[in-house]
Formats: sequence, C-alpha cells, structure tokens
Amino acid sequence: MMSVNRATVLWGLIAEHAAATGRRVAVADVCAVAVSSAQASGGWVAAASSRGPDFLLCVTDRVSEQLAELQLLLGEGPAHDVLAAAAPVLAGDLGDGEAGRRWPVFTPEARATGAMAVFAFPLMIGAIRSGVIGLYRSSPGPLSSLQLGDCLLLADTATLLLDSLDGGGIPAADGSGHGTRPGGQSPDLAVHRVEIDQATGMLTVQLGITAGEAFARLRAYAYARDRRLADVAGDIVARRLRLDPDPAQDAGP
Amino acid sequence: MDSELLSGTFVELADTMVAEFDIIDFLHMLTDRSVALLAASAAGVVLADPRGELRVAAASSDAAGMAELFQIQNDQGPCLDCFRTGRSVTAADLADPGTPWPRFAAAATQAGFRTVEALPMRLRDQVIGALNLFRATPGAFEPADLRIAQALADVATIGLLQERSLRRSETMAEQLQAALNSRVVIEQAKGKLAERLGIDMDEAFRRLRDHARNSNRRLSDVARNFVDSTSAEFPPSPGH
Repeated sequence: MMSVNRATVLWGLIAEHAAATGRRVAVADVCAVAVSSAQASGGWVAAASSRGPDFLLCVTDRVSEQLAELQLLLGEGPAHDVLAAAAPVLAGDLGDGEAGRRWPVFTPEARATGAMAVFAFPLMIGAIRSGVIGLYRSSPGPLSSLQLGDCLLLADTATLLLDSLDGGGIPAADGSGHGTRPGGQSPDLAVHRVEIDQATGMLTVQLGITAGEAFARLRAYAYARDRRLADVAGDIVARRLRLDPDPAQDAGP
Repeated sequence: MDSELLSGTFVELADTMVAEFDIIDFLHMLTDRSVALLAASAAGVVLADPRGELRVAAASSDAAGMAELFQIQNDQGPCLDCFRTGRSVTAADLADPGTPWPRFAAAATQAGFRTVEALPMRLRDQVIGALNLFRATPGAFEPADLRIAQALADVATIGLLQERSLRRSETMAEQLQAALNSRVVIEQAKGKLAERLGIDMDEAFRRLRDHARNSNRRLSDVARNFVDSTSAEFPPSPGH
C-alpha cells in the first residue's frame, strides 16, 4: 500500500531532522520536512483552540512568522479557514483574483511579504482539532499530487505529535523510546481505518473523556501492548475489549 | 428497472444538492439508491486520497466484512483496476477460479457476493474514485443498468464539487479532503452514540442523519457537536 511506504520514508526524514538538531522529534521537524517535500519557501505550525488557530508553535523563517501572525491578527486567510472548513486550503496563486476576493485584507499584505502561494492544512482527526500547518512559496504554482499527498501525511504526523498524553508538542522521554516515533507506530497510522474513529467515539463514553484524550489512550494502549492500532480498535468496536478507566492499566499485567 | 424509482432518485439527489448540503449524507443516499435501482446487495463510493490510499466515503452497509472488502482493494480488486485504467471493471462471477484478484474474490464470496462492478468517478482526465457495486448472484449487470450506474457515479463526482467551480485545479483536492474528514467525525459520532444507546453502528448513523434532517443542519456539524459535547445526550435538548 503506497501510503504506508511513503509515510515510512517521510518519518525517516523527520527522525533525521530531529537527530541533526540533537532534540527529540517535535512539530518543528515535521514542519521542516513539509517545507522541503513541498518545495516551499517556508512554513509554520500553529496550535488551535475551539475558536480556531491560536498561537504559533514553530516557524522556519521570518516570512512564515509574518504570514502566521497576520492571519492570527486578522482572523482571515488560508490557515485561518482550514479548521472551519475541515479541509486544506490550497491557494496556489495569491495573484489570481480569487484569493483577493476570499481574503481581501490578508492577500495584499501577504504578497507584500513576498509570498505568492500559501498552502494550509488542518491538523485534525474528525472532532479532534489540534492546529494548522501552513506553507508558503515565493512564486505561484499548485502543489503536485505527490507533494499534496506528502503534506497530508505530514499533517497527520503533526496531529499525532500534538495529541499525546504527555502534554503535546514535545514527546516525553522514557526508556522504552515512546516518543521517538509519533504514537510509536507511524507507518501503521498512515492506513486509515473506520474502526479507529468509531472506537475513539466509544471510548469518550466508556471513559468519560474528550475525543482527543480517547484517541491518545487508544494509541497508548496499542503501543504499550505492541499491537496494531487498527486491531485494538477492531476489538473495542466488536466489544471484545474494554479499556480500564485507569490509564496505568494500559501497560498490561 | 422501476422508472418511477429512477426519476425519483435523481429528483431527490438534485434536491439534496440545492439545500443545506452534507457530502457524506449525499453519498450515503446515493449508495442506498444505487442498491435499490440496480438490484444490488451493497454499494460503496471509494475516493482516491493523495496520501496513497483508496478510502470509503460512504457505503450502503456497515455489515461486518464490508470495510475489509474495500480495504483489500488497495492491493487488488475491481476498484484498484478501475482507478488505474479509468474504465469500468466487471467480475460476473467471483467464484471463477481464473479471477485476477484471488484475495479479494475469496473475501467477497465469503461475504456472500458473487458479482462486482466498479465504475469510475472521472473529472476531466483524472479518476477521483469509484462507485463499487456488489451482488449476491452471479451474472453481469445489464448494459442499461450500467449506464444508470455510470450516471450515478457521475452524480457523485458532481456532488463532491458542490457549488464550487473548477477554475482552480486545487478545488477537487480540497473537496475530497473535506469529504474524507467529514466521514471521520461522523464515524466518531456513530461510535459515541452506539456506545451511549447500546445500538449498532447502522442505527447510530440513521439517528444522527434523521436528527440532522429534522433540525435542518449538516450531518457533519451535528456529528461534530455531538462528539464535542460533554453530555452524551442525544438528540441534544434545545439550546445545545
């Protein structure tokens, strides 16, 4: 399956980037790989509150910082729209007239910074909304299909990093290596399974927690018992498995 | 074919596209109507995600094994061939030992299906997905039925565009992701509701959809509000 192979390659690039900086993997590494995969000029990641994108987590350059801050300030722009739209916003040409119509204040200001194209992706899994990732280019042109695919896979990875039990953003250190791979199971998570979403919903009721917490618990359980996430989710949906309200029980007997 | 059912179907689909519109609700209705119109046992709309995967946007049945049947087609099967060639793909008898898709055929026949058809959802020169039809009895679909099926696949493609134009090449890519993301939140809501009320996933979907229609709101909005709400009460009391 193509997505698993490609996700593995991208994860390798992320791990390399983190190793070169001597830190543990963080969203900044995902952002850097997104910029190079998309052949963008720069990028940024912002965390989200219920109202939308909220504060910057990382930027790669000054222009990205300006674009990110501009949209937060104006409440207008591609990165601002993605969470409400629950979809990417791919503005390949800020000079095409439509961008000016959609974002009348943002567009000329963005172009003044040197950005000619902006591509924004929501960091989300259904109702779980963690933030946005934005990329810009200093010349217009759409993302290729491959670049788009990479950006989507990388957005998924960033979402996982932000939705962790250890506070999000920077994975915690622990001897087992949890956190050196997002969720501990990066390629596995590249394959979508409807049972994972259904199990997430079921856990919100079973454990009385939010969807974000439920998904993090699901991943922690699968990782601790060295099982595929989809298999654990399948067991929950089929009612063969019920998680204990106490997270300490995830690690098993 | 029941011509009243046929014209009624297109009127209903057109009506849905004009009103407050939810793409997953629309595609689900389309798979349901495909089953009725074409005397099929099951139908699904599969979309090509640029991440590198064929993903189900909607299916007429949540029965055990259906999800797996679509998933296998990421490796082999009529949807994969349809996606790659841009042409409709038929298997008139999956029990035929000469099948080009042994794993898929085994799983499909085990699930009770003998005939399968995949029709391309095409946008200009790009294949964005497929309408997948299953029957319990062997024997190819009638040519007249296949023309209707292709028309339904084309309607699914148009539905994805909604009111947006194709001036920008990125429009369909955005719309596709919106549809896939919409389905995720609906599945989360199904899980929460099924657990809360002790019902199965199909029934949970029906209740979510009925509440959305009764309150004239988008299915994905209803789903999201329900997953977000701290109360597991459904339908939510007025003001929620």
